[in-house]
This record gives sequence, structure tokens and C-alpha cells, in this order.
Amino acid sequence: MKTYPVNIAGVKRELPVVQVGPGVAVALLNLLGDTELVEAAAQALAEKLPAEVETLITPEVKAVPLAHALSRLTGKPYVVARKTEKPYMINPVTRTVISITTGKPQLLVLDGTDVPLVRGKKVAIVDDVVSTGSTLKGLRELIEDVGGQMSAVLAVFTEGTPRDDVVALGHLPLFEPER
Amino acid sequence: MSMDTYPITVGRVTRHVPLVETLPGVRIPLIELMGDVELVNAAAEALLKHLPPETDYLLTMETSPIVLAHAMSEMSGKPYVVVRRRRRPYMQDPIIQEVQSLTLGVSETLWLDSRMAEKLLGQNVSLVVDVVSSGGTIMALEKVAIRAGAKVVARLAAFHQGTNKLPVTFLSEIPILQTA
Repeated sequence: MKTYPVNIAGVKRELPVVQVGPGVAVALLNLLGDTELVEAAAQALAEKLPAEVETLITPEVKAVPLAHALSRLTGKPYVVARKTEKPYMINPVTRTVISITTGKPQLLVLDGTDVPLVRGKKVAIVDDVVSTGSTLKGLRELIEDVGGQMSAVLAVFTEGTPRDDVVALGHLPLFEPER
Repeated sequence: MSMDTYPITVGRVTRHVPLVETLPGVRIPLIELMGDVELVNAAAEALLKHLPPETDYLLTMETSPIVLAHAMSEMSGKPYVVVRRRRRPYMQDPIIQEVQSLTLGVSETLWLDSRMAEKLLGQNVSLVVDVVSSGGTIMALEKVAIRAGAKVVARLAAFHQGTNKLPVTFLSEIPILQTA
């Protein structure tokens, strides 16, 4: 299987290159279960986190351990934007985005009980990979909807077109699928 | 909506969590580990005291227990594997395991990519979940471990709820409250 070598804050990994749609393959970063990588990335991102940031927000689910570790290291609270509305949520706020990995509409939901951590706060988005930025746009709208201000975006990687609006530890190209 | 709360304590950490009505007249305290670093760390520290030293891997599942497994992994140096609740586009030849859920009456499916399953072959695995209620989910997780060729050496849960008699090590009992 084709792999793509990366070095993330001193931790080396061979990312499998997998086809995710017709004509598109991506290097697959999986933070779930990779404690060493998550902790190293969190340490490096903690050093780059603007001091003004008051709250971290992360989309379910792959970036959740990263947000947890970053929160532990910086003392800033984090909230998780869920992919589904839960029956127990109180006054949830929602946005729909199109996911690059699935090509399908994806819901982003903020539980009303987490709103006080976002309203009137400077918020940093934490994600594993920022690609087209659709999740980013949805999260930004969620933050602004409830009266918060997006003041930074932190990710392990940017992907595809390089972008300078994201604090990242590296960049991933897109790949042609193998024939 | 009333926002009655109920105190839940793990180690030195107490949370006054909201009570939610699951059935008419039945309320349960709703605990969320995601977003609560202090509670997760307290639960991870306490559960690690029950982790068999021969454990090679922690095995957990989406979504809430992931942070618990990550914290336990970070503290103990043991690696962990996450079983998914949805098929991902990149999965190859995954283990597919149905969850028998009597209480909810809905079927759920667990997915483990073969590349992850291979890591568990011949390994001693400790299961890590946030709450054991009917037990259907942790039993399905155990089946995934066995189908991957692992030996389950412990079943660890932060919380336990209800009358099931499963051999699970847990930290705190969550009551099921009947309102008159």
C-alpha cells in the first residue's frame, strides 16, 4: 500500500494513502489511538496558541483527543461540536457543512449548555486536518451565531491548497488514486 | 424545562450533572466526559489502579470514552484502539459487530478496520467504556476483541447503571431515579 511519510513535532509516521472519492486520494491521519502523536502535536500547538484565546472548540470525533490534550496543557476549556443532535441537548445550535471525506452533508451541533463557554469569548478552532475549510466555515458560523469570536484555527495539517489562516504543524498534498 | 442536578463524584472531583427524563417518571443523571479534562483525568487515574499489568492494549469505542482511553494511555504508556460506530470510507475488510440493545430497542453496529484489528491479534486487551448500562455495548466490544484474536483481561467502566450483573470494574454507580 502506498504511504506518505510525515514528521509531526518530531514524531514520524507513514500515513496510508487511501482513495476517498472518484479521482481523489488523501494521506490518512488517524489521531484516535495514537497517544504519542496526539501529545506531541498538542505540545507543539500549545506553544503556538495565541494567549488571548479563552475557549477551544473541536468537531467530533477524530480531533477530540487533541483538543483534550491541548486543554490539559493550556488550562483553556474545550467544547465539542457534535455530528448529531442528542435528545438530551438543551437549545442546541446547528450548522450544516459538506464533508470532503464523505461528500455528504454533515451537521455540526453545539449543545446549549456549552454556549456560555463561547458567547463573548475569543475561540480557537482545533481540528486534525483542514482541507477545503468547509468544517471550518461551519464552526466559525456556529461560534459567531452564539456571540463568540473566532480568533485562531489550529490543526495538525493543512491539506490541498496551502493556506495561511491556519496554524498548522505541516501540510499534506492531495493524491491521484492508484490505477 | 427543570434543571435539577445530581452529584456524581470520581476521586476528588464532584460534578452536579443534569437529570434527564428517559421515560415518563424515570430520570437519570447525564454525565459527559468530553470537554471535562478534570473529570476524565480523575476517572483515568482511578481506573488505572484496576488495570491488569499484563494489558497490552486498551480497547474503547466512539465517542465519549475516547478521551478516557486517551488519558489512561497517556498516563500508563499503554496504546489504545478505537472501535468506530460508523463505517469509514477507508476501511478494508472491517470487523462488523451488531450491538444487542434490549433497553433501547434499536440496533447499532460497531466497525473495526482490519489494519487496527491486526494490532490486537494475540494481545491482552482491557476494555474501556464510560458507562455500562444494559451491557449490550460492552459485550459487543468484547466480541470485537475476541474476533480480532485478542484475550480480554479486564472490563473497565467509569460508571455503572442498573441491575445488570456483568463482571465489570467501575468507579461510581449512577442511580435510576423514579419520580412519584
